[in-house]
Amino acid sequence: MKTRVLACVCGVLAAWPLRGATAQTPILTPRDSALHALNRLAYGPRPGEVDRVAAAGVMQWIDRQLSPSKIDDHALAERERAFDILDYDRGDLAKLYLDAERERRERKRAAGADSAERPDQNPVAQRERRLGGEFADLAVVRAALSERQLYEVMVDFWTNHFNVFLAKGADRFLTPSYIEQTIRPRALSKFEDLLIATAKSPAMLFYLDNWESVAPGSMPPQAMRLRARPLFGPRPMFGRPPLFDPGRDPMRADSLRRQAAERMPKGINENYARELLELHTLGVDGGYTQQDVIAVARIFTGWSVRRPQQGGDFEFHDWAHDYGEKVVLGVTFPAGHGMDEGVRLLKLLADHAATMHHVSRKLCQRFVNDDPPDGCVDDAVAAWRRSHGDIRDVLRAIFRSPDFWAPENARAKIKTPLEFVVSATRAVAADPDTTPRLAQVVARLGEPLYLHVAPDGYPEREEAWVNSGALLDRMNAAVALAAGKLPGVTVSLDSIVPATPEGEDLVAAVNERILGGTMSENTKAVIRRQISDVSDPVQARALAIGLAIGGPEFQRQ
Amino acid sequence: MAISRRVFVKSGGLALFSIGLDPLFLARAAFAAYRPSSPTAADRRPVLVCLFQRGAVDGLNMIVPHGDPLYYRERPRIAVPQEDVVDLDGYFGLHPRLAALKPLWDNKSLAAIHAIGSPDSSRSHFDAQDYMESGTPGSKATPDGWLNRYCQHDQEHQDTPFRAVAFGPQLPRILAGTAPSLAIDDLQAFGLRAPQPAARDRLTRAFEELYAGSATGLLSASSQEAFQAVQMLKHVDPGQYQPAGGADYPRGRFGRALLQIAQLIKADLGLQVAFADVTGWDTHVNQGSSEGQLATRLAEFGQALTAFAQDLGEKLRDVVVLTMSEFGRTVRENGNSGTDHGHATAMLVMGGSVNGGRVLGKWPGLDPANRFEGRDVAVTTDFRDLFAEVLARHLGAQNLAAIFPGFVPDQTRFPGAIRS
Repeated sequence: MKTRVLACVCGVLAAWPLRGATAQTPILTPRDSALHALNRLAYGPRPGEVDRVAAAGVMQWIDRQLSPSKIDDHALAERERAFDILDYDRGDLAKLYLDAERERRERKRAAGADSAERPDQNPVAQRERRLGGEFADLAVVRAALSERQLYEVMVDFWTNHFNVFLAKGADRFLTPSYIEQTIRPRALSKFEDLLIATAKSPAMLFYLDNWESVAPGSMPPQAMRLRARPLFGPRPMFGRPPLFDPGRDPMRADSLRRQAAERMPKGINENYARELLELHTLGVDGGYTQQDVIAVARIFTGWSVRRPQQGGDFEFHDWAHDYGEKVVLGVTFPAGHGMDEGVRLLKLLADHAATMHHVSRKLCQRFVNDDPPDGCVDDAVAAWRRSHGDIRDVLRAIFRSPDFWAPENARAKIKTPLEFVVSATRAVAADPDTTPRLAQVVARLGEPLYLHVAPDGYPEREEAWVNSGALLDRMNAAVALAAGKLPGVTVSLDSIVPATPEGEDLVAAVNERILGGTMSENTKAVIRRQISDVSDPVQARALAIGLAIGGPEFQRQ
Repeated sequence: MAISRRVFVKSGGLALFSIGLDPLFLARAAFAAYRPSSPTAADRRPVLVCLFQRGAVDGLNMIVPHGDPLYYRERPRIAVPQEDVVDLDGYFGLHPRLAALKPLWDNKSLAAIHAIGSPDSSRSHFDAQDYMESGTPGSKATPDGWLNRYCQHDQEHQDTPFRAVAFGPQLPRILAGTAPSLAIDDLQAFGLRAPQPAARDRLTRAFEELYAGSATGLLSASSQEAFQAVQMLKHVDPGQYQPAGGADYPRGRFGRALLQIAQLIKADLGLQVAFADVTGWDTHVNQGSSEGQLATRLAEFGQALTAFAQDLGEKLRDVVVLTMSEFGRTVRENGNSGTDHGHATAMLVMGGSVNGGRVLGKWPGLDPANRFEGRDVAVTTDFRDLFAEVLARHLGAQNLAAIFPGFVPDQTRFPGAIRS
């Protein structure tokens, strides 16, 4: 009996990969399924990859992608070693940033305020900027080269879901460790773990101002010390020696003390509380009120950062916490609790039905359709409930959902600039370098990484990305890439699409190798016409590939 | 406001099919063929240019209340000395580095609105900019910007891809939305790039054929706009532009943006709404007074506006320039000879239909008792009252309630910046 049940279960498990495909008519061919999976779970196919995945079985490939730790990724690991930024911790980056700021100010003072000399043209500032650019490039390189494609896609998803803005003061040096130590290790873990980790991350605490949210009337024990609170902001002020020694000038010391006291945070800041509910968990229609926002802000009073100017860690400030009773979404948080009530709240939010729906819907929007079908969202929510928010289980449910495989959802989404640049790089097996130049191409197309100012992250819907200027820029990037002139990558096309004087062969090769066989008759005819009078086969190849990648089919996924 | 772009129907309980036609797509398709407007209409087409001073400009040192001793008492190190101020009305005056704007003030083409800002108390640059661009202070869920909503609700002018243009690499929040708008970083570089003009034309044609035959939905509509815009720009030849009237635009991104806006206006391509931003106003440290950091920024700002007016010449009569900034700065200078984030600021309105030569708005004074939260200039004019007035009286916008949802526009609250 036991054996029979087991056999049944195994039978079901073995059969599920096909369920989606067989439930629908018409169905995607194995090759189309492979292309679809590579477009959505990965940053597009590399040459020949559609056939490889189709031959090995698309569901097996998906299963492997859901267990990234079992996928060998040594080539990427090798490449990552070239990125100096990974050798710097928060403290190092903070010091570098502060040194650069100081240098900038001193040069500015020395040169006079009206001088034309750019104060940021100093070696420290340049090093700081170079590392920032390198960090953006690292994201592009990982997306392009990693074998753990789904994992990289999810890192990008959570980076936007839990967005921080690199150019806001201290986030300039807090963001790299946020990505490396908060987001990446948890991209396929439990949602709750990710939520708690972001809530405690210095980058998020700083970005959404929670680090200075305090119970009204609270005073730090060291409040009377000068410079009790470091000043941050878009133009921070650090370490200028006072003109007089305050100790010897009581009037001056008094005034400085007063100024320091004025700068002390004086009450709660609702910024994080609101975005936590609106964006990270329940969603804007998740049924919370302004009173809930205030109660949440009170619960997180005291969640702060230890010495942020040194890249410090999370620290709970007992003295800043509001120990009164709070009620959130009808749940009472009794008086007398400290940091534990914040963790309790985050767990409650992570397991809330509105959160399951909001985040599942966003995942379906990413993987299935800008307007995700209800069926797929329901499947994801059911898996969330079963697994208590295990992200891998939720994803598995989406990839098993018939909606995912419905032919009308294939190629239904427009690529974001990051997806366009990375998929183009992969399509021609281009090799990205470690300079920030490829990330700059992504930025020029409208998506400068880690620089989305608002907390909602880069949008997923096509209206955000399709505009006339952006399309022309994509065409230009495609033509440059095919001609081997796109900054930041090396292209060698010979092994992918051999140069041939036969126009028909060229069009067929570009269609098969680069567009995965999706080239429309119109596109074939236009390319055929365009290359007909180009005598140099290498130039004809560049033109054909440039048109294919800049053309409408390749903008879709 | 209906943002629903598609009509979906559930089929078989599993899949959804897009069966409806996207209203935007329809609208765009309907206007896809460029119709040159009649010469008279083109002649008098009103244009609105919005300029965003990002970083929160210190309104008190831009339009200086030099008649108030409190101003000097609160700002011992950064107040603009009375003898340097370019007096406007005996109480307010221009910062000396804006002196070039005085002739425009005198001929009534320039007005200032003081104590203007947001009803939302946020002192976050990010939030406050977002609110000023979405036009819905306090509400973050608004998907589009108010300038775009204007374009959605007034479709009369929607006959050219150049109707709404933002200068910069990305479309700003203020123009985000379903109505078509262009983001142009550089007019000269807008289009396909190739070493020779012949190669460029060929490439352009090839892509145009690709998209005309194979693109669907938004890709099709946007690519059509792009190729029309490229085609139209070809006749303009942006590389050859010479500013008129001896206009001397400042070097840098902002001057370049205004030059290109003037160029588009003069090229008669149907520009109705233009946007550019200018940064560097977040003067927490060593702000300076008559000279210094803020003075340098104001000098560039004023020079660009002056050059723009000179360059446009007679055409300025159809143009209104509206400047804005997310909030003002503290009345009292801080410990670093700078100012921190405040509340109300000052905005400028310049152009032919402007009710110029005066400082508009209700001035709350600098008395601490009248300040916002005891420290900042109080907001007496909701920025939406000014924006709504400009849209209604200059562009002839009808549906103000749809452009500023949740806000009841009321003519009696208009600051009176535009001659009605």
